[in-house]
Amino acid sequence: MAGVGGAETTARKVRWGVLNAVVVIYALFPVLWIASLSFKSAATLTDGNFVPREWTLDNYANIFATTEFVRALLNSIGIALIATTIAVVFGTMAAYAIARLDFPGKKLLVGVSLLIAMFPQVSLVSPLFEIERSLGLFDTWPGLILPYITFALPLAIYTLSAFFREIPWELEKAAKMDGATPGQAFRRVIAPLAAPGVFTTAILVFIFCWNDFLFAISLTSTERSRTVPVALSFFTGSSQFEDPTGSIAAAAVVITIPIILFVLFFQRRIVAGLTSGAVKG
Amino acid sequence: MSQQVVRTRFRRGDGRVAYAYLAPALLVLAGLLGYPIYQLVLISLFDYGQEQVSGGAALEFLGLGNYRALLSDSQFWTVLAQTVGFAAVCVLGTLLVGTALAVLSTRVRTWARTLLFLAALGAWATPAVAGSTIWLFLFDANFGFVNEVLGTTGFSWTYDRWIAFGLVAAQVIWCSFPFVMVTLYAGIKAIPVEVVEAAALDGASTWRTARSVILPLLRPLLLIVTIQSIIWDFKVFTQIYVMTNGGGIAGRNLVLNVYAYQQAFAASQYGMGAAIGVVMTALLLLITFGYLRALRRTGEEL
Repeated sequence: MAGVGGAETTARKVRWGVLNAVVVIYALFPVLWIASLSFKSAATLTDGNFVPREWTLDNYANIFATTEFVRALLNSIGIALIATTIAVVFGTMAAYAIARLDFPGKKLLVGVSLLIAMFPQVSLVSPLFEIERSLGLFDTWPGLILPYITFALPLAIYTLSAFFREIPWELEKAAKMDGATPGQAFRRVIAPLAAPGVFTTAILVFIFCWNDFLFAISLTSTERSRTVPVALSFFTGSSQFEDPTGSIAAAAVVITIPIILFVLFFQRRIVAGLTSGAVKG
Repeated sequence: MSQQVVRTRFRRGDGRVAYAYLAPALLVLAGLLGYPIYQLVLISLFDYGQEQVSGGAALEFLGLGNYRALLSDSQFWTVLAQTVGFAAVCVLGTLLVGTALAVLSTRVRTWARTLLFLAALGAWATPAVAGSTIWLFLFDANFGFVNEVLGTTGFSWTYDRWIAFGLVAAQVIWCSFPFVMVTLYAGIKAIPVEVVEAAALDGASTWRTARSVILPLLRPLLLIVTIQSIIWDFKVFTQIYVMTNGGGIAGRNLVLNVYAYQQAFAASQYGMGAAIGVVMTALLLLITFGYLRALRRTGEEL
């Protein structure tokens, strides 16, 4: 490993330590602040204290009592899971072809999938709105799953083909020479090697679908298919006389914490996935 | 000769298998991307609004009318300039913070680095809507922690055009620096330790080593994260939409992405919205081609 070197002195250590602390605060503080808000009671919500003076779970109880939020949560989970599964399966097939096989138009294909990843999603919103209305897909699960697959596929193909290129494919041949059937060679040798890449890609794709706001706000109109980010932006509290801040904070925590935990738990893999497209080790 | 024949046949078979594997992905992309893009261009050539959608009025073909109207609209040029300026600030900020942290990560102990990565990835993974809401609440005029600390309770951070842009930029940098940090950290780690040691043996100072040895080796990576940041920050939608309430008072915090959305959905001018979409796509295509060329120049395999 190469450090940007130099001798360690105490003053230097302190300086780095302070810098470290500032960064951690910049990155973590906003999330802690909203968590704190979500635990504050209605009376102390606006006191500006970092640590709540009165702890309460009312905000959470309130949002889970509304069908508006619970339905959106189910929609989000279902839509993101289905879109991720399809995108990863199709993406794995395509990436396998790109990494293993030689065929005309290969370079073009990878270039095109990169182009799609850059494509401004907002451009597709008007035509998709139009097409989905005429097909009866507007404000349905498939109405969101389909565009998610479109934009997740290039991401999946790009990340997966970077992973697949690193797999020592000769092992497959070696296994076959040792008497394994093609099925066994794939199951015992290739699948375990490919699994981490596929899994990482699935995480990245799931996060993309879960976080999307643009498609979700333009291609839905009711609770039937509204996902959590959109529900959050429409949150007005359980009655119009109630300040929605506490509920919004609680809802934001509910959609953020699972993703953050997910990411922290699989930190290494995600870092590998993020850098696979850009760095060759 | 015979070997040549065998090879060609093998390759052709390879190709057929490859396309079989590619078929699902290609079909999905053709149907779900190709057709909508065709529709996008088509819609942009018509006067297509609420009345036409509900069937109340006939479609009127405008040709390039929407584009002409768009390019002669002073608001479009303001929004374009704002988009470029906003993206530039976000990209610079992201790169600065990301690079500094990548270097910092190589300097600290393992536990501190883990902490840094965890915090950064937490910010990165926060859904954009939640992240925007979080920052709004942090800077809220009445109960925001920032006003509490600064003793400026009641000060609105989203009223003034430039302060609002600054706040959104801070949020965008917050959720995009981790990508730069993680990528560059991996890049620095990949530099052989002997190279740095050799520079130190030759008497180069830390600063000199960083500038003359590490920076040139990192240049290809820096280029990649820069262009990816440009593309990403050019397309910011959620943060502006949520934090400035759909583009600010009288649309003064609009960027192209939100502008296209507002024209299409809020103003129900789908034709005009589509035209903005086409213009945006063209701009991003230009940037992407620059990216591809840069990749090729650095010898990066696609």
